[in-house]
Amino acid sequence: MLTYLVKRLMISIVVLLGIAFLSFLIIHAVPGNPAKIQLGVHANPTTVAALEHKWGLDKSWPEQFWLYLGNIVTFNFGQSTAFSTGVSELIGDRVGPSLLLLAYGILIAVVIGVPLAIVAAVRQGGWVDNAIRVLTTFTFAMPPFWLGLMLALLLGFELKLFPVSGYETGISGILRTLTLPALTIGLGLLVIIVRNLRANLVTVLQSDYIEAVRARGYSELRVVGKHAMRNSIIGVITILASLFGFFVGLLVLVENVFQIPGAGTLLVQGVAKRDYKLVQTLVFLSGAAVVVIGFFTDALYAWLDPRIRLGGRG
Amino acid sequence: MRKLLLIGAMGALLALLVSACGGSSGGGGSISVAQEGEGGTKSVSAACEKEPVAGGQLVYSRQLETVTLNPREIKNGNGDIFAQEMVFSPLVRNDPSGTDEVVPALAEKWDISKDGLTYTFHLRPGLKYSDGSPLTAEDIAWNLEQFADPEVNISLAGVAAGMESVKATNDTTVVVKLEHPVAAFLYNIAIFPAFIVDKAKLEAEGPAYWKHPVGTGPFIVKEFAGGSHITFEKNPYYFEKGKPYLDSMRWNFVPNSNTRVLALKSGEAQIADGIPFSQVESLQGESNLEIQKVELPQEVLLVTNTKAVPALADPHVRRALSLAINRQQLNETVFRGTGTVPNSVIQNFELDASDQEVPPFEFNVEKAKEEMAKSKFAKGFSVNLQYPAGSDYFKQMALLIEQELGAIGVNVKLEELESSAVSEKWFEGEFQMTFPFVGTSSDVPVPDEYASFYALPAAELDAFKSFWTNKKAEGLVEKFISSTNEAGRKAEWKVIQELFNEEMPSLNVMDFPLINGHQTTVCGTKANGMGVDQLQETWIAGKSS
Repeated sequence: MLTYLVKRLMISIVVLLGIAFLSFLIIHAVPGNPAKIQLGVHANPTTVAALEHKWGLDKSWPEQFWLYLGNIVTFNFGQSTAFSTGVSELIGDRVGPSLLLLAYGILIAVVIGVPLAIVAAVRQGGWVDNAIRVLTTFTFAMPPFWLGLMLALLLGFELKLFPVSGYETGISGILRTLTLPALTIGLGLLVIIVRNLRANLVTVLQSDYIEAVRARGYSELRVVGKHAMRNSIIGVITILASLFGFFVGLLVLVENVFQIPGAGTLLVQGVAKRDYKLVQTLVFLSGAAVVVIGFFTDALYAWLDPRIRLGGRG
Repeated sequence: MRKLLLIGAMGALLALLVSACGGSSGGGGSISVAQEGEGGTKSVSAACEKEPVAGGQLVYSRQLETVTLNPREIKNGNGDIFAQEMVFSPLVRNDPSGTDEVVPALAEKWDISKDGLTYTFHLRPGLKYSDGSPLTAEDIAWNLEQFADPEVNISLAGVAAGMESVKATNDTTVVVKLEHPVAAFLYNIAIFPAFIVDKAKLEAEGPAYWKHPVGTGPFIVKEFAGGSHITFEKNPYYFEKGKPYLDSMRWNFVPNSNTRVLALKSGEAQIADGIPFSQVESLQGESNLEIQKVELPQEVLLVTNTKAVPALADPHVRRALSLAINRQQLNETVFRGTGTVPNSVIQNFELDASDQEVPPFEFNVEKAKEEMAKSKFAKGFSVNLQYPAGSDYFKQMALLIEQELGAIGVNVKLEELESSAVSEKWFEGEFQMTFPFVGTSSDVPVPDEYASFYALPAAELDAFKSFWTNKKAEGLVEKFISSTNEAGRKAEWKVIQELFNEEMPSLNVMDFPLINGHQTTVCGTKANGMGVDQLQETWIAGKSS
């Protein structure tokens, strides 16, 4: 087990280095210079050189990359050029609303999606099943930007149930200001949960052990809710975990519509202003989150299933 | 049968989706919008004609986020500048009523020596910072030294050009000496890099000062939540007694224009800026809303690279391009009539010659063809036009211009790029024709800044990257920006304006305003000559009967 973990750790470190390198390379290679962007019409060679020097952008790329790696190791991600604040402080302030929004959105998708998936699976092939699948595809196909505005118009402006924009802290503030954006995200994710869970349930409900459970005389509610769900839900969690990039894109759009001060908006602003340190750090941390989650998931699987840690040897 | 029903249902849903996406008004058609500060035709004008009343909170839905309150390190353009104007004051300021005059601020009066080299400012007695501590002439002197230091004031070091020394001669007098006369000097120190900040607090707190700066503006920052909002409360020590009228303000940063409009319509915000041109007409139909133009020196600038394209080096060709553009139609189609057909290559200023003296740029395809015939490119040529992505009106403008220039034999290839990439290519000279910025606005309400950009090599901007040179223009502008004869400047500028128009180093496609909207209960909505909100003049009326 230890050998397996060490191997996985070494691979994870290599992957992290690769992410750091790629995030550095991509933002530097994109046309656009942060000093020129900030100076706008006042960008002349003298002012650009002065600002580049102030920000350390006149150093060579290898030197900048080495400094960047040093920042990662010491968790001191430097100063943002677009915001005049430390990158760590900036991300720390903004990642909270994004995570809350994402969690709330997934919760809504699960609360709505799981019952719909169960009904669709149990009534497989009927008009209810078809209606559920069409409706969830419809909400998925709606551009999040448009869906968010429509929800703001209907539930915010017309019915005055929620504010049309803004973010407040505290439980009541979060419920008040994040419900509409979370609903936008939840409706967008609905089809993933419904279709995946429905498909898994349909397969599981046809398996022998379910027949055995039914033969014991348990109610259908118990058969589906306790026995079938346990094996069906894992696939949904795996798929949701793999959609991290999709979530970031969704957050950017929804945060923009509802004026949520989150990390998605921060990333877009950082790219627009070519804030190298901010963008590199956000991209690296996002990639690192996936790698770390993957590492712990693999460790858990190896612990649960000896075949994995023994490399398939019988 | 089931399949048919399913297809039918999908079709109906699709139709619903498309119809909901439809816009409220068709394209084109001018609309009439009140000027900033003017009363509208609605019942609110009666309430706003009464005496201002103190009190209340204003919620402002703003397009641009405030990123920093450091006036010498602007990060997000007007998002920063407008907030800084609330918190700090300069020595002199642009007239809050919107003329191009410079009026007293922290200085109640000043003397200028005959040679234009010495300015003596006399401060108002009893000036205090927002925390009650006294403001002295030494503070002013230190701030102006910072303003003149190109390592501190990196982005606008140019406006501090000519300053030799600044000294506090006593507690209420500051003397500034210039190396040479600078005609626009008072305008240059009326804007944000010359705002007066609290030196002692800044030195004690370091960068943390900028989260809750102490200044002498009409408001104090109460809370600054990056990416979300900034709240202000009134400064009890503000030098204009009785102002501001508002007790507090909350500025929400709402980059999405649809959300801003919704917030205004729903009453969540009482005022919103950046109203899209396409939504002005529908908002004017709301009985509780007033839509207003905020005039400022701002243009849509089309830069022609005379170095990259031989044809563009010929002034006949450049004049032909200008004559071929139907600005009136562009104004109606894209700007809904809120723009102004310009009579100057650079932005509109009060100093400009009138339309009667220098006529606005005309649309005349025949004359355009005659100009082309006078050039070596009578048969036409091909040119690439870059424009920024993400802006509906730039796309429309680019398409219209492509069509119009095609009529005189100029084959335009459009290239849409991300806005930062367009600006980068402009800076590097890697373009043929370009709209380098979404809006190009002057920092001061006089033409000195942009005239220098075009005509003076010392500006290091290669005539705003058109690579045009003209010795006559250089001499005239040198004289103009150092002129101490205020009365003579208008005549001097008319000559330069006509020369620029003749040479056409770049094309001014349209002078256009900002469009703001506010509830009819919000009164005293004014902007100075630079388009900056003067919210110390704003008040909230009671409900109209």
